[in-house]
Amino acid sequence: MSPSLSYDVVVLGAGVAGLSAATQLAEGGARVCVLAKGVGSTHLAPGTVDVLGYSPERVEEPGGALGEFIAAHPEHPYALMGAQAIAPALEWFAACIERGPQPGYSYTGGLARNHLLPTAVGAIRPSALVPETMAAGDMRAAGPVCVVGVRVLRDFYASVCAGNLRRAGIDARAVEVDVDVGRVEANSLGLARCFDDERFRAAFAARLAMLLRPGERVGLPAVLGLRDPHGAWSDLQRRLGHAVFEVPTLPPSAPGMRIYNALVHALRRGGGRLVLGSEVRGVEREAGRVSAVRAHTSGHETTYHARWVVLATGGFASGAIELGSDWRARETVLGLPLRGMPPAGEPRFGADYFGPQPMSGVGVAVDSSLLAQDTENVYVAGAALPGAMPWREGSGEGISLASGHFVAQAVLEHEVAAAAA
Amino acid sequence: MEKLSADVLVIGGGATGAGVAWDASLRGLDVVLVERGDLATGTSGRFHGLLHSGGRYAVKDPAAADECARENVIVRRVAADSVEDTGGFFVTTPFDDPAYADRFAQGCRDSGVPCQEVAPAQALREEPRLNPRISRAFRVPDASIDVWKLVWALSRGAQERGARVLPYHQAVAVHRDGDEVQGARVRSARTGQELDIEARVTVSAAGAWGGQLAALAGIEGVHVMPGKGIMIAMNHRLVDTVINRCQMPTDGDIIVPIRTVSVIGTTDVGTDDPDDHTVLQDEVDAMLEDGERLIPGFKQARALRVWTGARPLFEDRKENGASESRDVTRAHALLDHRERDGVSGFVTITGGKLTTYRLMAEETVDAVCRQLGEARPSRTATEPLPGSEDGEYYRLAERLDRREQHLLEDQLICECELISRGRLEAAFRQRGTTDLDDIRRQLRLGMGPCQGGFCVYRTAGILHGLDGIDTEQANAALVDYVAERWKGEWPILYGDQLRQARLDEWIFQGILDIEHLP
Amino acid sequence: MIDDLRHEPLRSSLDHCVKCTICETACPVSNVTPLFPGPKYVGPQAERYRAAAQPSDEWSVDYCSGCGLCTMSCPQGVKIAELNAHARYAVKQRKGMPLRDRLIARPTVLGRLGTPVAPVANATLRARPLRAVVERVLGIHRDAPVPSFAGRTFRKWARGHQAPATGTKIVYFHGCGTEYYEPDVGEKVVAVLEHNGYRVEIPKQDCCGLPLQSNGLFEDARKYVLRLARALAPHARDGTLIVGNATSCTLMLKREAREILGLEDDPDLALVSRQTYDICELLLELHDRGQLRTDFEPVEEVVAYHAPCQQQGHWIGKPALELLALVPGLEVRELDARCCGIAGTYGLKREKYPIAMEVGADLFGQVAASGAELVACDSETCRWMIEHGTHRPSAHPVELLHRAYRL
Repeated sequence: MSPSLSYDVVVLGAGVAGLSAATQLAEGGARVCVLAKGVGSTHLAPGTVDVLGYSPERVEEPGGALGEFIAAHPEHPYALMGAQAIAPALEWFAACIERGPQPGYSYTGGLARNHLLPTAVGAIRPSALVPETMAAGDMRAAGPVCVVGVRVLRDFYASVCAGNLRRAGIDARAVEVDVDVGRVEANSLGLARCFDDERFRAAFAARLAMLLRPGERVGLPAVLGLRDPHGAWSDLQRRLGHAVFEVPTLPPSAPGMRIYNALVHALRRGGGRLVLGSEVRGVEREAGRVSAVRAHTSGHETTYHARWVVLATGGFASGAIELGSDWRARETVLGLPLRGMPPAGEPRFGADYFGPQPMSGVGVAVDSSLLAQDTENVYVAGAALPGAMPWREGSGEGISLASGHFVAQAVLEHEVAAAAA
Repeated sequence: MEKLSADVLVIGGGATGAGVAWDASLRGLDVVLVERGDLATGTSGRFHGLLHSGGRYAVKDPAAADECARENVIVRRVAADSVEDTGGFFVTTPFDDPAYADRFAQGCRDSGVPCQEVAPAQALREEPRLNPRISRAFRVPDASIDVWKLVWALSRGAQERGARVLPYHQAVAVHRDGDEVQGARVRSARTGQELDIEARVTVSAAGAWGGQLAALAGIEGVHVMPGKGIMIAMNHRLVDTVINRCQMPTDGDIIVPIRTVSVIGTTDVGTDDPDDHTVLQDEVDAMLEDGERLIPGFKQARALRVWTGARPLFEDRKENGASESRDVTRAHALLDHRERDGVSGFVTITGGKLTTYRLMAEETVDAVCRQLGEARPSRTATEPLPGSEDGEYYRLAERLDRREQHLLEDQLICECELISRGRLEAAFRQRGTTDLDDIRRQLRLGMGPCQGGFCVYRTAGILHGLDGIDTEQANAALVDYVAERWKGEWPILYGDQLRQARLDEWIFQGILDIEHLP
Repeated sequence: MIDDLRHEPLRSSLDHCVKCTICETACPVSNVTPLFPGPKYVGPQAERYRAAAQPSDEWSVDYCSGCGLCTMSCPQGVKIAELNAHARYAVKQRKGMPLRDRLIARPTVLGRLGTPVAPVANATLRARPLRAVVERVLGIHRDAPVPSFAGRTFRKWARGHQAPATGTKIVYFHGCGTEYYEPDVGEKVVAVLEHNGYRVEIPKQDCCGLPLQSNGLFEDARKYVLRLARALAPHARDGTLIVGNATSCTLMLKREAREILGLEDDPDLALVSRQTYDICELLLELHDRGQLRTDFEPVEEVVAYHAPCQQQGHWIGKPALELLALVPGLEVRELDARCCGIAGTYGLKREKYPIAMEVGADLFGQVAASGAELVACDSETCRWMIEHGTHRPSAHPVELLHRAYRL
């Protein structure tokens, strides 16, 4: 017997794009299995949904700016999908969070106006949809800000954050609160678990309250709970009597992990399967279709048959697209053709770090329906798509959610049509 | 105008200059050492870290081989703290002329380089990554040396004996009164202030910049050609022994395990400007191929960083014409300008290699003493440097052991290089600098696989919190650091390091958004 | 010595580490104690400071429990847990191996000693004063959950069992847990397989060597696992599959022995590795083909399911969940705690038991909150720990299927 399982759809990759596509497919009635080499981008990302932050000037109203952006970037995923693909994806995401395992937790915002949130170093970053726990940090709002550091957290420094906010004309200062967490250093995850504990919050709030001045908004690193961020955040606000907001910082990202947990929860509830640690090592094709993928499981390979495949494995950052020492790039999972590579012999990178980089828009070649070139049944979503520079544009989650939603809809339409026929 | 006086002014703070300062101070002379940047930012800090056994020169340049063999023993003794006793192999790969091996063995015997042939199987047992098709192998006492540690120890030792060490002071004029050099004027790179230094003898230990300095003193024909070579640091130690190709010296024929990385080098491209740091793609590709010959699978291993160093190749142009780079002598050149040019109070030391820094320094200070008319013998062959008193070599596991001792007491700030918060704060207080690069060099901050992705923000945050740097300086630290890292990364950016660079981009641009700092 | 273990392929994987911290979020131990600085630190990071011939004074890697969740979560493919296993081996070589570790790493020795005198042995192991002595002398924590000897062996039952005349041949690898402590689970596995048309062969077999490996006794571990491979391989050469219910032990055969002990080249082990299945993995694939008998009677119960770390290490997802979903009336609550804490023999040790209990606290709390009366879990050592931590019974998922089949 050769080990194999069959599904309607196999989704490759457990980042935002993969999990959101898989969940929507499962909710639409498809039998879905997600195969992932490991955990995805969620744990590293700030936890906001960035649709369009810079183009290259700062974007105030992403909805309004999309038209011009798309016209200037006809190869961009937004151009392929059309601007109208974004809003429904954001709505689905916001609803997914609200239905999710973190009681009362929600996202706020949309395409109308970007929030302007402080970063851990005090720059100001635009984001379309943000967790409620971050919203009070919008630097458009007037009023003094107190940035709070916790010494045990080596990944966040309040003084430099406040220093840069002041340079931007905001009335900001920094304080440090000492907490005993039983160890000398903690990361955001460890501290977030502490903030899930009411007694810890009470002690923390008591210490912090003494340091605050009237009218100050309080900026904390993004550690306000993993299990119950709404509860932790609102409890803290109540105890302090001040507005509180989280500031995303170095990985691991607690808000990012909340997204992961919510998506996995929704996937399971919809009846989808998640297999972690399983790297796809081979493909089976029948004519223009990929009929199965072979996944590396311990000991032997397992073949997963599916009618549809969603490739949401990421770009260079995840290693799914790889540049070899021979300076040739490959899509390593399904071996699909790429687009955007500079011709052989031409430079791959520029010497100026902040300048244009020839390799930045490389991704899997797709048509306007996000179907991979040379296949009839492989859709591509997320960072695997070409034509974008999400970390510069501030468009990462926007692309992931929009494309995840888009391909899920496409596959479901095909399935419905096939069932009707 | 501020003024300093000394017996000896040393211009150039690399291994040779620092070595001269140490040697002269030990002899009781009053020394001032100036360096235009941070110590060891010239050629010394830009080479692969090999303390030669001499084997490399055994056939081509027996005199150099003999020198290296002797100095190797001495440096291991007096600078033990900077030296890792890795040992070395010379191996004959399928790409090397098999006949060279016997000439090599003979050359070693003739020039006193300790050399012992071992069975290839033995070499492969000790170094399983080596090319399994090697046909001959020889064991030699190569070692790797941490130049930063060495130069800082030399500097500290000199200072403990009264020397004044002034980094970030560039010589802008050499004071010459007729046929006498009386000192120099230097300008602080930090403050712009100028300072006159009066000295009985001025030593030019400016290596690849020696020609420029000689010209400043109005002395002709001192031509130092920078022989530019690239080196690539691989992310981890592919080998724990220095590996040399057993053949005439050529490109990419050495792999040195130095601290946590293995460095492959080097090439040889003539250039006019010792500050030219261009890396050519062809050079990189060729070097990766060279690595593959010694270590199959080298091209799949992770390359961390590429940089260039300029060897100082001296050519006395007073009489001859020009010549090709590699063939210009690698031996060092001591120019006593009183004898050569009739200009007293000035000595140039240039050329040479790091392994012979001590000998070069000794000969230089001998010449200084001759000019001073004082007989003071050198003690550097026996006097251990600060930190090397116990004669214990550096061990790779040192930092890990130290971290494990303090695991529960102190935060880890630079994780790749195991630098704790306490260590960082102490280094900062001791240096009194606002330039993150100075601390980086001293502690190796941000020099590991993540290339500062996590620790640069942490460091800027900590120092800002200590009121050690202001916000503008913190911002500059972040932005400059990232740009500086990129310079050495992009020519070798493939595979794993490209993934890292992308993650770092997410952190710096996506999470921190340093591009839009106020 | 390390070279013989094919250290290089594991070591090369450290190049893939981009320090992203994802492994640290997955690690159950570093999240509860600072004594273990985390998988990124002791794995790819510290590995750059290790040279073959150079000793070091590192100690914290010994607090790695070997659960493997780090390797599973790593998006870049760093073999973190495997690197840790090698590092721990080196530490043990340097520091020496306590008698305790040698003893608890040999379940067959303990099993053979304890089985004939089970009632006395069990009573002794429950006696608190004696446990206090054992703790002082041997270093096994007085409260650690040690299983009870069954007083009979599974082998004995298997010898007396009449297999059906026809059916697809399958080889059963039962493991030490079934042999000495839970022979009834083995009987149920055989019954479920026979119900689905298999003719079960149970060759003479011994320990897979996993406890020896996880305690750094690599040489002995190799002997055991190769002996087991030699015992099973002849039966599998014709393509017959090997099935097991002990998920840690089947993982040892599938992957860990080859990767960690450097046995990639052994042909018997390679064969066995390819053809070994976890029981739930096998049954789910049968079901996918439409070949699983689904004549389940209702089981009206609320059951919580915890996937052991070394079941997750098979990288097949959680097939038990899908199987249990087929049983009418059975309500399954999937728990998402990381680890029960026992990690094989880790949680038995005096200095590690408190950590193990802290690791497991989240799971125990979830069990309590789930309202379930029973916890389904694929690994016997985890079941014993869960029973200890929750005071609720725990069973292998196949036992629920057995009940549903009314066998």
